[in-house]
Amino acid sequence: MRRIGAGLASLAVFLALWKLATVVGRYPDYILPAPEVVGERAWRAVDSGVLWEHTAVTLLEVVLGFAAGATTAIVTGIALGKSVLIERVLSPYIVAAQAIPILALAPLLDIWFGGGLLARVVICALIVFFPIAIATMVGIRSVDPLLAEMLRSLGASGPQQTRLLEIPSALPVLFGGLRVGVTLAVIGAVVAEWAGASAGLGVLINIANQGLFDTPLMFVALATLAIIGLAFYGLVVIVERRFVSP
Amino acid sequence: MSTSRVLIAFIALMLVACQPGSADHTQPVGDLREVTLALGYRPDVQFAPFYVAQREGFYADAGIDVTIEHHQAPDVQRLVADGEAEFGVADATDVMIARTAGIPIRYVSTLYQSFPVALIGAAADVPAEPSGLADMTIGTPGRFGSSWHALLALLEAGGLTEDDVTIREYPQFNQVDGLSNGDVELVTGFRNNEPLRLEARGIEVDLLTVDEVAPLPGPGMIVGDELLGSDPDLVRAFVEATAAAQAAVIADPDLGFAAAEEAVSTIAEDPEVARAVLEATVELWEGDGFADGAIDLTTWESGYATLERLGFIDGSVPLEEMIAPDVINRS
Repeated sequence: MRRIGAGLASLAVFLALWKLATVVGRYPDYILPAPEVVGERAWRAVDSGVLWEHTAVTLLEVVLGFAAGATTAIVTGIALGKSVLIERVLSPYIVAAQAIPILALAPLLDIWFGGGLLARVVICALIVFFPIAIATMVGIRSVDPLLAEMLRSLGASGPQQTRLLEIPSALPVLFGGLRVGVTLAVIGAVVAEWAGASAGLGVLINIANQGLFDTPLMFVALATLAIIGLAFYGLVVIVERRFVSP
Repeated sequence: MSTSRVLIAFIALMLVACQPGSADHTQPVGDLREVTLALGYRPDVQFAPFYVAQREGFYADAGIDVTIEHHQAPDVQRLVADGEAEFGVADATDVMIARTAGIPIRYVSTLYQSFPVALIGAAADVPAEPSGLADMTIGTPGRFGSSWHALLALLEAGGLTEDDVTIREYPQFNQVDGLSNGDVELVTGFRNNEPLRLEARGIEVDLLTVDEVAPLPGPGMIVGDELLGSDPDLVRAFVEATAAAQAAVIADPDLGFAAAEEAVSTIAEDPEVARAVLEATVELWEGDGFADGAIDLTTWESGYATLERLGFIDGSVPLEEMIAPDVINRS
């Protein structure tokens, strides 16, 4: 209850400061709309169905992109953590791929993968991949060597060691990567939509900003993205609490 | 420092940060008025009139010192409305929508007599009439901007809607790659750019333009209501100097190319393409006859009616509040 109260108080302060900025700065709505203007625009976007139409598309991309990216990253991270050779071979490519701005690569990925949902999921998964893979690798390597030695002395096979010791030991760090990854998945979906899409919150931002000059609607889309990010982050935290003891 | 003091300091910082910038950037520099011109896109040969006006002294003779800045297209309207830039270049169709959305800008002079956007494709694929667009796959940057307006205007002229074609979006403006790749049959593009890029890839292209079937006004100069009201002489001096420089480039494209080459370093990488772009751009500036920036009311009325029918504007802001034709016509 106290946590909810603190959250609401924080939201109230944020809205008050936002309102204060619009009043003191005397900004017109096309530069910085006031919170009540954005709220009213959000109501109209919900009422017309426009907001849900675009939100549903982005949600699908986030879920599929995060699932694909996280699964691939965890498998790769385990391999990197267990084999120095694999790490030496793959790491330069993984780091280099991370250093390339995905925004520059996204239009090409869109064309290579046919420009549909698959292309957007791939772009989203690529953004998600790096922090989760690295977190998994670090987690796998953080295993207590004494425990590993004990399991080996008990005759545990390699896969048994991974399942019974390494993955459970890696979970706290891995979930750290998942927390970062799930918020990046939201950004990934938007970047993918900016590379080519007919619907989604990234598309709605473009239409509101470049097509309609409707700054309040752009803020509605941004706020929706923030809420999606918070919701998925919270979901990961809930799952983490089930599997990782504090 | 106590928590309350930190909080007060934070709020004070926010208040200072939120102070609006100076509404009037026009400062005298020596004998010249310093103003900012906001352009979309990036430095390019198509902006040759502005480079010529700077280099050859058209602006200086008008008593103006112009700083050119490039921004994303929708930001140009906001910057000009907010007084952060005195002048800007914008698509006329965007001006109608922005003005209807409450952004206080006005279109004061025409740069392009012909609407620069067309549907482009391999010569064999481009229909002779808009009605032939049915069932075609068309690539466009997105559902915004002059490309989208032109596409919908063409579809409407052919008795079609967007549901009668397949739209594929290329928000990074790489629709030419989609056409080359065979993913789409036609693309929206600028007549002075995309056809040249496609021809450079060995594709013989044809165009379907809006000028004959659904006339739309082309890009032009915009100013904020505040500046137009407070200093119409400055606005007139600027647009006249720009129109004079544009006329000089039309009469002597080499003059424009030389100024652009000096202002835009990337032209040196492929001067032949840049020259071809300039020649194609000059044709669009001229249209049926260069009119020194004058606003063609008939085309504006046609464009306004088209955008209203297509639902981009609701008619709540009359055409007279979107343009200021007297800035040029009074001179």
